[in-house]
Amino acid sequence: MNGLLFLEGIGKDFGGLTALSDISFSVSPGEILGVIGPNGAGKTTLFNVITALFPPTAGRVVFDGETISGLAPHAITRRGISRTFQNIRLFPAMTVEENVMVGRHCRTGAGVWRGVLRTREQREEERKIRARTLELLALVGLSGADPGQAAESLPYGFQRRLEIARALAAEPRLLLLDEPVAGMNEAETQEVFRLIQQVRSLGVTILLIEHDMSLVMKACDRLVVFNFGRKIAEGPPAAIQNDPGVIEAYLGAAEEHRDA
Amino acid sequence: MEWVNPYHLQVASFLLINVILGVSIYVTLSTGQLSLGNAGFMCIGAYTTALLATRYGLPIPAGIVLGSLLAGAAGVLVGIPSLRLSGVYLAIATLGFGEVIRAVAINWESLTGGAVGVAAIPQMGRVLLARARDIGFSPGSVGLRPNQFISLSVFLILLVLTALVVAFFLRLARSRVGRAYTAIKLDERAAEAAGIPVTYYKVLAFSQGAMVSGLAGALYAHSTSFVSPSDFTYHRAVEILVFAVFGGSGHLLGPVFGATFLTLVPEALRAISHYRYILYGVLLVLTMIFRPQGVIDPPLLRLFRRARPGAAA
Repeated sequence: MNGLLFLEGIGKDFGGLTALSDISFSVSPGEILGVIGPNGAGKTTLFNVITALFPPTAGRVVFDGETISGLAPHAITRRGISRTFQNIRLFPAMTVEENVMVGRHCRTGAGVWRGVLRTREQREEERKIRARTLELLALVGLSGADPGQAAESLPYGFQRRLEIARALAAEPRLLLLDEPVAGMNEAETQEVFRLIQQVRSLGVTILLIEHDMSLVMKACDRLVVFNFGRKIAEGPPAAIQNDPGVIEAYLGAAEEHRDA
Repeated sequence: MEWVNPYHLQVASFLLINVILGVSIYVTLSTGQLSLGNAGFMCIGAYTTALLATRYGLPIPAGIVLGSLLAGAAGVLVGIPSLRLSGVYLAIATLGFGEVIRAVAINWESLTGGAVGVAAIPQMGRVLLARARDIGFSPGSVGLRPNQFISLSVFLILLVLTALVVAFFLRLARSRVGRAYTAIKLDERAAEAAGIPVTYYKVLAFSQGAMVSGLAGALYAHSTSFVSPSDFTYHRAVEILVFAVFGGSGHLLGPVFGATFLTLVPEALRAISHYRYILYGVLLVLTMIFRPQGVIDPPLLRLFRRARPGAAA
């Protein structure tokens, strides 16, 4: 199997609890792949395994032909995978601008001495970081916000977009979005939909966890469906909508809605 | 030149050493790690240069550099296992480290002279005076008595070094590395997901803090010409902590202010300087009630900048 990202038999146990078992699928370059499933199905756990926030207990993650499981999170970001978090994780006391500038870290190199001595090279690098930051803020629709204000003072919807800008600052080839429209109204959801399209047009492949089904059906080229830590279906949105197993996972008997 | 008061200059010199110690705890704290081992690192810096100078006649500047570097290296050694700890556990472990260093200084008598300490360490001002006389300069020619010259030169040397240390870390804070430090302090997991090698920067910050403590220790040794283990007890560690808690740990200028204020106040109130620790306790409690982030915090500094447009560098 070839693809930008390839998951091979991924399993993850927390003590006696199996969060993921035998997950295999691949993501083709340029596609938007939706990851859906009921709460507790293991979707966020999958993101955490891909970005190495914790290691898988089985299987491996292959990115661009190389095994990346076992690398540190920052090394994976450097290779070209960025993410956002389900519960927004900005640097609250840092400014809007600084949050994005932090995202440039792995694409820049000034160390302690260059930073303190303010060499010509360092000032040039800082200038480029700022310029790119402003471009990204404009891309995600934050050009109206004051780049010098604290990130925590932004309205909720803007914070989500700022997190996307921070993720894009690392120049990812694969972007993992964990419920980017959670808690947003219809209009805001539309804007994020357009943003996702725009990011894809820049050549970024997207893996999208989302509960908003109308967005998922509209935005995604393919879907992978999780239930109780297993992949229960994979295919184009239209086929998934009519898949009996998927319908049962979402609408099935009450006892199947326990948190797994 | 009667206004050159050696006593006041000596107080000012200790103040500057305290400012450097305030910087040392801030640097480590700026990545969210609370180290109470800075008295221990200070001890390493002080003893290194004291022993090298008294036994092998090593020049003072070389001793200060070596003392700082050795403390920084010890910082790496302590910093790596400390990665597994955070918050109060890290604080306790580093406090323990400081006490271990002091116990070594007391008990390894053949090296350190034990509880008696190391005496007759070359004092910066005296050495400078001797050198000046060698080249035919007499302090009298600028209207200074020898003891005035000595205190004044110690103060000026410390002033320059303190300014350099503060400028170094102010600039660092406003660079790529400084942003990484703040990101780690605010959310370690988000920082690593954003591409920051968290382990590297935490050890770096820990070791920088240790090195700055070592520098303060080395300067202390060459200012007082005498060090003993009792200079580096946990009282010292707590004193350094109070600089940051009282002054504020959200910005470098917080501990700098804390160190300045808490050195000057007991001096200004000589009559109660015996009750210094009571004052510390009261101040700590009051700070925690009325201003838990410390006196100086970033919003306050922004207020100052707005009040004086153009002051923000």
